[in-house]
Amino acid sequence: MIMKTSYKNLAFIAFTAAMVGTVSSCKDYLDVAPQAQITEEQIISDPNVATNLVTGVYNIFFAGDAFGNDVRGFQYAVLGDIASDDADKGSSPNDYGDALQLDNLTANGNNGVVNNIWRGYYQAIARSNQALDKLQNAQFDEAAKNKLIGEVRFLRGMFYFNLVRIFGGVPLVNRVPAASEANSPEFSTKATAEQVYEFIISDLTFAVANLPDKSGTDVGRATKGAAQSLLAKVYLYNKNYQQAYDLSQAVITSGAYGLYADFTTLFRETGNNSIESIFEIQAGKNTACNAAIDRFTITQGPRAGGRYGWSDLGYGFNNPSESLINEFEANDVRRNATVIFIRPTTGNTSSGTVLYDGFRIPSQDSVQNERYNYKAFYSRYSESNCANFDRLPKHVQVIRYAEVLLIHAEAAFQLGNAGASLTDINLIRERAKVTPLTAITLNAIWHERRMEMAMEQDRFFDLVRQDAVQPGRAAAAFTAHGKTWNARNKVFPIPQAQIDLSGGNLKQNEGY
Amino acid sequence: MKRLITISLCGILCLCLTPALAQNITVKGTVKDAATGETLIGVSIAVQGTQTGTQTGPDGTYSISAPGNAQLTISYIGYATQTVPVNNQAAINVALKAQSNELQQVVVIGYGTQRRRDVTGAVASVKGEDLAKQPVQTPTQALQGKVSGVQVIGSGQPNSQPQLRIRGTGSVLGGANPLYVVDGVLTDDIRNINNNDILSLDVLKDASAAIYGVRGANGVVIITTRKGKKGAPVVRYDANAGFREVSNLVEMANRDQYISYLQDANPSKLPSDQAPLTTPGTTNWYDAVLRKGFQTNHNLSVSGGSDNATYFVSGNYLKDNGVVTTNNFDRFTLRSNLEIKLADNLTTGTQLSLSRANERPAPLGDVYSSVYRAAPIITPIDENGKYGNTSAWGNVGNPLLNINKVNNQTVNNRLLGNAYLEYKPVKSLTLRTAFNTDAFWNKQRNYNYRYLNDANTFNVAGGNQQIINSSLLVQNDQSLRTVWDNTATFQKDFGSHSLTVLAGFTREYLKTDLFSGSRIGVPESEDLWYLDQGNPESQATYINNGSKFTRQSFLGRVNYSYAGKYLFSASFRADGSSRFVDKYGYFPTVGAGWIISQENFLKDNSLISNLKLRASYGQLGNDNIDQGLYIVTGTPNIPYFFNNTLALGTIIQDIKDPNLKWERTNQLDIGLEYGLFNNKLTGEIDYYDKKVKDALTPVSIPAILGDPDGIYVTNAASYRNRGWEFSAKWTDKVGDWSYSIGGNINYNKNEVIGLNGGQALNGGGVGGQGAITRTDNGQPIASYYVLQATGIFQNQAQIDAAPTYNLNGETKRIGGLIYADISGPNGVPDGVVDTYDRDFSGSYQPKFYGGFNASVSYKAWDLSADFYGNWGNKIYNGKKGFRYDPNDNIEAGYASKRWTPTNASNTDPITITQNTPASTYFIESGAFLRLNNLTLGYTIPTEVLKKIKMSRIRVYASSQNLFTAKRFSGFTPEILTTDILSSGIELNGYPVTRTFTFGVNVEF
Repeated sequence: MIMKTSYKNLAFIAFTAAMVGTVSSCKDYLDVAPQAQITEEQIISDPNVATNLVTGVYNIFFAGDAFGNDVRGFQYAVLGDIASDDADKGSSPNDYGDALQLDNLTANGNNGVVNNIWRGYYQAIARSNQALDKLQNAQFDEAAKNKLIGEVRFLRGMFYFNLVRIFGGVPLVNRVPAASEANSPEFSTKATAEQVYEFIISDLTFAVANLPDKSGTDVGRATKGAAQSLLAKVYLYNKNYQQAYDLSQAVITSGAYGLYADFTTLFRETGNNSIESIFEIQAGKNTACNAAIDRFTITQGPRAGGRYGWSDLGYGFNNPSESLINEFEANDVRRNATVIFIRPTTGNTSSGTVLYDGFRIPSQDSVQNERYNYKAFYSRYSESNCANFDRLPKHVQVIRYAEVLLIHAEAAFQLGNAGASLTDINLIRERAKVTPLTAITLNAIWHERRMEMAMEQDRFFDLVRQDAVQPGRAAAAFTAHGKTWNARNKVFPIPQAQIDLSGGNLKQNEGY
Repeated sequence: MKRLITISLCGILCLCLTPALAQNITVKGTVKDAATGETLIGVSIAVQGTQTGTQTGPDGTYSISAPGNAQLTISYIGYATQTVPVNNQAAINVALKAQSNELQQVVVIGYGTQRRRDVTGAVASVKGEDLAKQPVQTPTQALQGKVSGVQVIGSGQPNSQPQLRIRGTGSVLGGANPLYVVDGVLTDDIRNINNNDILSLDVLKDASAAIYGVRGANGVVIITTRKGKKGAPVVRYDANAGFREVSNLVEMANRDQYISYLQDANPSKLPSDQAPLTTPGTTNWYDAVLRKGFQTNHNLSVSGGSDNATYFVSGNYLKDNGVVTTNNFDRFTLRSNLEIKLADNLTTGTQLSLSRANERPAPLGDVYSSVYRAAPIITPIDENGKYGNTSAWGNVGNPLLNINKVNNQTVNNRLLGNAYLEYKPVKSLTLRTAFNTDAFWNKQRNYNYRYLNDANTFNVAGGNQQIINSSLLVQNDQSLRTVWDNTATFQKDFGSHSLTVLAGFTREYLKTDLFSGSRIGVPESEDLWYLDQGNPESQATYINNGSKFTRQSFLGRVNYSYAGKYLFSASFRADGSSRFVDKYGYFPTVGAGWIISQENFLKDNSLISNLKLRASYGQLGNDNIDQGLYIVTGTPNIPYFFNNTLALGTIIQDIKDPNLKWERTNQLDIGLEYGLFNNKLTGEIDYYDKKVKDALTPVSIPAILGDPDGIYVTNAASYRNRGWEFSAKWTDKVGDWSYSIGGNINYNKNEVIGLNGGQALNGGGVGGQGAITRTDNGQPIASYYVLQATGIFQNQAQIDAAPTYNLNGETKRIGGLIYADISGPNGVPDGVVDTYDRDFSGSYQPKFYGGFNASVSYKAWDLSADFYGNWGNKIYNGKKGFRYDPNDNIEAGYASKRWTPTNASNTDPITITQNTPASTYFIESGAFLRLNNLTLGYTIPTEVLKKIKMSRIRVYASSQNLFTAKRFSGFTPEILTTDILSSGIELNGYPVTRTFTFGVNVEF
C-alpha cells in the first residue's frame, strides 16, 4: 500500500508539474527566430554592416546566371555583342532560340534574355538601395560614409545607364519599397529616358565629388576616375560634348591611367588591373571556387561539332561576325587578339588553331563554328583557376583608358578641336600597330571605336548612339551584317512577364 | 490531497473486497470458432465487474478462478463478445461467432479510441495483418487500393516513400501529404516502421482530423503497433525471399532504326563520322544497367505478459537490392512495447522503435535520362574493360560509366516512440501524459571517382565525359522532434446516455541540424574517403545550417450517444505555431450520426442488418512551410575581391510577406454505412466537399522589387476537392469454402476556385519546352497547358495553307506536327501559332481511382488478389520531348510510327528536336489497372502442428505487381514527384518493379 501511495504521489507530481510548467512558459514558447539565417535586425546591429552591404552590391556581378538573371555576364553579351553587327549567335544553329531572335532583331517581349536582364538589373538596384538605406543610418566618419555611398551610387548609376541604353525609359526605383508597394504606380510606371539620365547624372556627379582617386582606395573599388569616365560616357550619349570633353580631359590629365603597351595580353590574366583599367569587374580564387561571373567564358568558348572527338572549351556562343572581320585593317594586332580563328580542314595535314597557352583546337570539321571571342577566353592551363570551368576567374573591363581617349576624341571633334581628336586616335592606332592617320573624321573615330572595343559588349548601344548622331548609320551597319534594322530596334522590348505583373502600369516599347 | 488518496484507496479496497463475498471456484474450458471449430488463442476471459481476467493459451484452453455466481465475459477481436453465467460449473466451453461487420472494432481517432459503431466521421481502418501480407517495404505502399478515398502513388525504388493523397490535392506549397501518427508520435515519414509490428492503421479522412488542427488538412494516418497480451510467450517468425525485376521497360530503337532516324534528325552527322558504325550490333542500354534484384525479409517477435506487465518485442531485417546494378538497401528494426501496471489504476509503458537503414542509392536523374538517350550503336563496355564513348559521338555520357564511377552511401538511424503514464483517479476518468519522440541521425557519403576522356577510360578518346577531380561529400543530418501530450478523458454512461469528454494540452518541438562538407582530389582508396584527404584550398565547401520550430496546442472533444443510436461529437483545437506572426489558429468540428438499424422499424429487418447515417463539418489547417518565411533575412559571407584579396559582403534581398498565415480547409462529409443480408454485404458511401482557402502560394512579383527569383509566398489561392467514395465487401462461407470480395471506387473533382486575382502558376519544366502545367481558375491543380497537335504536314500545300508558326525555332515542315491556331492576343485565332494557342489538356489527377480485393480459402489453402487502378488522368511523356541533342536515341515505337516519305503517319512527326514545343503530342492516357498482389498460401493442418508443438505454420508464394493493363507508353503510370506543379510529367522515374517471393509464417 505504501508503494502504491508513493506511485500515486509521483503521478500527482508529474501531472501538476506538467500543468505548472506549461502555464509558466506558454508565452515565449512560440517565439522562435529563424535558424541559420541572419535577420535584418541582426544585420543592422553589426558594426561592419555598411562595408559589408557595399561589398554585397559588387557581388551582384557574380550573382548572375549565364542563362538567368544577369548583369554583366553572358546575357548581357547577347544584347551587347550578338544583337549587334559585331557578332552572330554561334553554337549549333538551333541552340538557344531566345538569342537567335535577338541576333535576328526579331525578339519581342516574350524573349527570355530581356527578362533576365531586367530582373538582374533591378536585383542589382535593390541591393544598391538596401545598402544606401542602411548607410544613411550608419554612425561613422562622414568622409568614409560618403565614400561608401559614392561607390554604391557609382554602381547604381552604371546599372541605370545600362538599363536606359537597353530599354529606354524604365521605372525609377530609388529606395527600398515594401512588398505591398509592388504594384504602386510610383514604381511600375516608366520614367522617361530623360528622367532616367537625370537620375544617373545625379548619382555619378555625387560619386565624382566623393570618391577618392585610384591611389586612395582598394584596387577594384569605384574611384573618382571611374565616375568621371562613366559620366563622360553618359554625357556623350546625351550629346553634351562639352561635359564629355571636360570629364575625359580630367581623367587624362590626372596621369593615373595610360594605355597598356601590349594589346595582345590586355585581356589575359597578366592584363588584370593594369594601368589602362579604370573600372574592372574583379574575380579570383576562393575556397568554394565561385568568385567569378557565372559561365562568362565557357558560354563563349569553342565548341566541338562535326567529327567531335576532342574536349572542347565551351558552348560556342558569340561568334565575331564577318562584318567585323572585314573592317580590320591589315596588320592590326587587335584582329588576332579579338578573334580565335578556326582553320579550315586540309586533309591529314590540318594544322588546327593553337591558342596562346598551347591548347590546340582541331580544324573546322571538328568544330561547331569558325570564329570565337578571344577577349572572353580564359586559359584553363596557363592562367590561375581552381578547376571550376563554369566560374573561371575572368576579369571584365567595364571602362578602360582607351575608351576614355575615344570619348575624348569624339567630344573634341564635335567641339571643333580636330587636333586633339587626331592625337587621341593615333595613340590608340599606334598601340594597335596600324599606320597613324593624318586627318580625322567622325567615321574614322567610330571605326577606331569599333576595332578597339569589338566583342566587349558595347557595340549595339554605341551603334544606336551613332545612329542618333548620324541617322541611317545603324540600318547601313546591319545591312552590311545581313540583318534588317527597324526603328523599334533602338531599344529592346520590355519583358512581357513584367508588363503582366505591373497591373497595366508598365507599357511596352513602341513597335513591339 | 491526503484525503483524496484515502478515498480512492478505499474505493480500491472495496473493489477488491466485493468478489470475496462469494466462494471462488476454478473454471476451465476451451474457446473455439463457432463456424470452423478451430481453437482460438489469446481470447480474453474476464470475470464481469472485477479486474480478474485471463487469456486462452496456444491450445485454446483457459483456466480462471471466479465466484460461482459470476458472469464471464469472453471477448476476441473480430468476434462477438459473449457473456456466460458460471452457475458453479467447473467446465465452460465457448464457441465464438465471427463478426464480419466489424462494428465492435475499436477505431483510433486521435488522442483516444471509439467503437466503430459510435464514430461520426469518415474513418477507414485496415488491420495490420492485411498490410504485412504484401512483400512491400512501407505500410503506405501496402495500403494501396485497400481503403476508399486514399490514392497511393508508389515507385519501384528501394526506400522510396509512396505518395498519399487523401481526398485529392489541396495545397501547392504547404504540402499535400497527410500527417502520420505512430503510437501518438507525429511524423511525416514512416519508412522506419516494420509492417509486421502494426496492429491497425486508421485513416481520418474528413473533418474528424481536426483534432490534429493545423496538421490535419491533408488527412491523418494513425498507426497503432502491437502490444503483448497476458499469457505464455508467443513466438512468431515470418520470412520471405524473392527477387524483383523491371515490369515495363520501354523498348528503344535498334541500330537500324536509330541510323535511319539520324539521317533525318542530323543529316550531316553520318557522312562526317563513320567510326562507331564499324562495330556491329545493337546495344540495349537497359540491359547494361539493370538486373534482377534480390530481396528478403525476416521478422521475429515474442509477446506475452503477466498480471503486472505485458511485452511485445520484435526484430526485423529487410534487404532489397534494387534493379539498378549498383543499388542496394537494407534495414534493421527493433521494437520494444512494454506496459507495466504499477498499481490498479496506474499504468506506465513505452513503445519504442529503433531502425537503421543502409542504402547505396542509384544515381537516378542522370542514369535514367542518359540510358534513354544513349546511342544504340555504341558498346557500353568492351572486353578490355574500356567504355564505349557516347559523348565523343556527340551524345550523352555513357550511363554505365556514370553509375560505376559514383559511390554514394547513406546510413539512416531513427528512434521513434514514447513513454507514458496513465492514471485513473476514479473509474470514469483517465489522466495520461506521454512523452513522444522522433529522432534521426543520418550520414551520407558520396564519392565520385576521377576519370578522363582518354584511352585509359574509353575505347576511343575524346568527348566531354570526364571527371577531372575526384570529389567527396560527407553530410551529417540530425533531427529531434519531441511531442508532449497531456490528456484527461472522462467516460461515463448514465442510463441511455453515454458521454466521453477529452481535454488535452500538447507541445511540440523540432530542431534540425545539417553539417556537410566536400572536397576534391580525395584518393581512390575507400579507406581514405575522409575530408582531410582532399584539397583544402580549392572547391572545398562546408555547410552548416538548421531549423527550429515549436507548436503548442489545446484540444478538447465531446462524444455523446443516446440510446445507442443517436450520436453526436464535437471537437476543438487551438493550435499555436511559431511559423507565423499571428501565432494561434482555432479549428472546430462537429459531427452527428444516426444508427437507423437500431430503430424499431428496422430492428428485425431480415435484409438490413446495419444502417448508419453520419455527417461531419469542420475546419482544418496546414502550416507545413519553412520556418521564418515571414521574417526578412540576409545572407552573409558573399565573395568579392578588392586588392586581389577576398572580401566578404552581406546582402538583404528576399521579399517576405509579413502577414503570412496557415492554410484553412473547411470540409463537409456525409456518409452512409450499411450491412445487408446479416452483414454478409457491408460497405460505406461518402460524399465530401473540401475547400481550401488562404492556400500558400508562390506569387510572382514585379522584378523592380529586386527579389532574386521574383517570387514571394503569400496566402492567395483557394482550391476545392469534391467527391464520392463507394465501398462494398461481400463475405460468405459455403461448406469448406469461404470467400470475400471487396472493393472501393472513388470519384474526385479537383478545382482551383480562386487564384490571387487570376495570376496562374506555371510549373513543370521539360528541357527546352519550358513550363508544361498551369494552375488556373476552374482547372485542376497542375493541368497541362500546351499547344494542340492535330496532325502531321503531309505536303507543301498543307504547309502553305497553315497559319504562321512563331514558336522559338519550330518551323512548318513536311513530316512536322500541325498545331491548331485556337487563339491570339485578342482571344481569337490570329493566323499565327504561338504561345497564345496553348490550352488546358487534362491533368495527372484521376477522375476515378480505387481497388478491389478478392480472397478465397478452401480448407488449408488460401488465395488472394488485390487490384488497384485509376482512370481519367493524363501523363506528360516528358522524356520523349526532353531532347538536347539530335544524336539522342528514340523509342522503337516512335521509330516505327514516325512520318517518313514511305510512312505517311498522321500522328508522329519525322523528328523530335529540342525546338519541338510542348503539345498534346506528348500527352497520353494515365489510366491503368494493376494486379497489385497475388498470394497463394497453405496452412499446415492443426493435427500435424499439435504433434510438433507449433500453433501455426503457413507457407506462401506471392507476386507483387504481376501485371498492369495500361495505355501509357512510358515506364509506369505512377509518377512520383515532390513538386506538386510537376505532377504527372515523366522524366526519369525509377520503373515500377515486379516482385516474386516465397515466404513462411510460423507461430508457437
